[in-house]
Amino acid sequence: MKSQPALKLLLGTYIFVFLAYLFGPLIIMSITAFNSAEFPAVTPWECFSWRWFTEGKVTYDGQRLAGLLADTKLHDGILTSLRIALGVVVLSVPIGMAAAIVLTQVNSKIRTFFYSVAIMPVLFPGVVIGISTVVLWDRIASMTGGGAMADIGRNGVFLTILAQTCFISTYCFLIFVARLQRFDKTQEEAALDLGASQTQVFFKILMPYLMPAIASSAVIAFLYSFENYNTTVFSILSDQTLTTVIASKVRLGISPAISALALVIIAITLTAAISYEVLKRRAERRLAKIKQTQLHQAMPSDRLMKNQKTSFRLPKSMFLILLVCFGVVAGGNYLVSNNLYGQQCIVAADEAKKSNFADQLKLLQQNVETEATTTPQSGPATGSQGFNNIFGDPNLFKNFGGFDSDAKK
Amino acid sequence: MKNFFAKNGPIISTYFLIAIGFWIIFLIIIPQLYMLDLSFRPNLPPLLRGGEEDVYTLTHYKHFLFGSETSKDAYNYVDLKVFFTTLATAVVITVLSLCFCYPIAFYIAKIAEHKTARLLIVSLIVPFWINELLRAFALRILFAGEGVINNALINAGLMDNAINFIGQDVALFTGLTYAYLLLMMFPLYNSLESLDTNQLEAAKDLGSSTIRTHWRVVIPHAKAGIASGSTMVFMLTAGALATPVVLSSPNTFWFTQLIYQWFNMNDNWSRGAAYSVLLLLVSVIFVLLMMKLFRVKVGEIVK
Repeated sequence: MKSQPALKLLLGTYIFVFLAYLFGPLIIMSITAFNSAEFPAVTPWECFSWRWFTEGKVTYDGQRLAGLLADTKLHDGILTSLRIALGVVVLSVPIGMAAAIVLTQVNSKIRTFFYSVAIMPVLFPGVVIGISTVVLWDRIASMTGGGAMADIGRNGVFLTILAQTCFISTYCFLIFVARLQRFDKTQEEAALDLGASQTQVFFKILMPYLMPAIASSAVIAFLYSFENYNTTVFSILSDQTLTTVIASKVRLGISPAISALALVIIAITLTAAISYEVLKRRAERRLAKIKQTQLHQAMPSDRLMKNQKTSFRLPKSMFLILLVCFGVVAGGNYLVSNNLYGQQCIVAADEAKKSNFADQLKLLQQNVETEATTTPQSGPATGSQGFNNIFGDPNLFKNFGGFDSDAKK
Repeated sequence: MKNFFAKNGPIISTYFLIAIGFWIIFLIIIPQLYMLDLSFRPNLPPLLRGGEEDVYTLTHYKHFLFGSETSKDAYNYVDLKVFFTTLATAVVITVLSLCFCYPIAFYIAKIAEHKTARLLIVSLIVPFWINELLRAFALRILFAGEGVINNALINAGLMDNAINFIGQDVALFTGLTYAYLLLMMFPLYNSLESLDTNQLEAAKDLGSSTIRTHWRVVIPHAKAGIASGSTMVFMLTAGALATPVVLSSPNTFWFTQLIYQWFNMNDNWSRGAAYSVLLLLVSVIFVLLMMKLFRVKVGEIVK
């Protein structure tokens, strides 16, 4: 592979295009969040503003587009989503853990069957899970005929928690299975031999060993639940979660407030990803250092001690950061020098639009008036003239063949 | 059973049994069975349920095939067309995703250095933690009538009138490919990573061309990953609702949207259930097909 530079170049270009395809739309969407125009766009750039993050805007024709801070529906949706996600974590982590532990205890025949059943929910379409939960609980609610059971059976939050738990438990289950594969069973046996009860073994040996899996499955469950739409849209009934709020907003008409929301989510994701990566690298480096010192202690020879005082090197990521800084500065400079920032610009743009709108309205009214006055008299005349014009156009039948050739003869 | 209790102690055993029983029986099996049952029943108002008219019937499946009794067409062309377009599109998108992901997965798994590989993986994951709806929305901004692409093309003087990307379903297909690409990438990457690099070198030393090496060595090794990725992408595309809601044109329906319509707008739950059963059936058949085709077990598809 190394001997083919052309292929390598091709591959490099391909990877670049691929990443551009992944990130391009997100970057453009993030930029539109700062455009004060009410349609999310980049090119007819109105003004730089934070309005979609704060109070939003009332357009010249009276339509109200709420920004993030002013959107109470969105806030309610986020709260409901959080409640559901917590419920799902509380249910699905213990379920996944129990299923994974039992999987290690049953014999191989039952194991295959059990495993197949346990992973089935992931292979079901999300909408099917949502629908089946709703129809079942509606039946239960109507059978009990009112009372507490009926309330529960028609409670969207409760149904959504159940429906999501159905398939999110599988993800948790898979995480626990992966962790348990590396578990050393002799630890359990040793504890039992030393007189621990089974319950003690579970809480003192197995649980601490599974702690990383518990943490990561809780995070995964939370994220899956929070961003689920396909199942939720059926099972939530009359309530609203974050995703259903977004979907209904998008269907009603797209507003830059959604771009702003997306940007907030992107920022949170990026921060989490970068800090995770940095922490991981730091831990790795520390581990390497410990190994190095151990080696040195075992064999105290200077040759093995790596030279600690390396010269100062600029990390590669520095270039990326510099590039981003440069982009931000250049963009900001452009905005300031063209007067595209601040309250003044926004007011001016709104005024322009309002007067434009008023002009159009006036023009429309004028048209109606002139039409009303002129059509009765000159109606037929203009009509015949129109016909004359159409047939009088010499180019009209040029490609048609018939008339033209006749005329030539 | 006795063994089970002896091994785990009474408290933990009870917890295991309750948790697993609740999950498998109450969350997985009973809802699906009840949905199947409902799909064979007529759509009745709540008061008439359990009465004389509440008998098993095939009306909903008949409706799917032949249309309503008042229509003149021999078959229910509208619904059938939606159904088969959805499936065909899902297959095309699955194949496309595989072609797009294969070079990158191979690069990350076999060619790139450790640091580059990890950086690439992180940068692939980040866009996929963003909600599917919002990613579809990002594409909507690009493809809208006054969207970024149209504006850019018109400003550059390449064309005069805006192209209706959404009406032509370009936006929908791009969005669906965009949404589930990663689910192809990771199974592929995992299976390619376990390939011994010596095998590649051996093939090369024995005079095999790059393409032949891939066809005879790499792809057979990665078949579990291909099966797994294809299944996930197909299932999610065929069952997608969020992306079609945002990106589909008013006259195109995705099969899930049809289900949604029967369920929420027309209030015909039993017909919605029947259509869901069809979707579920297709999914099951597809999984079985993949298992047969690639000779893998279910456990290898979902990891």
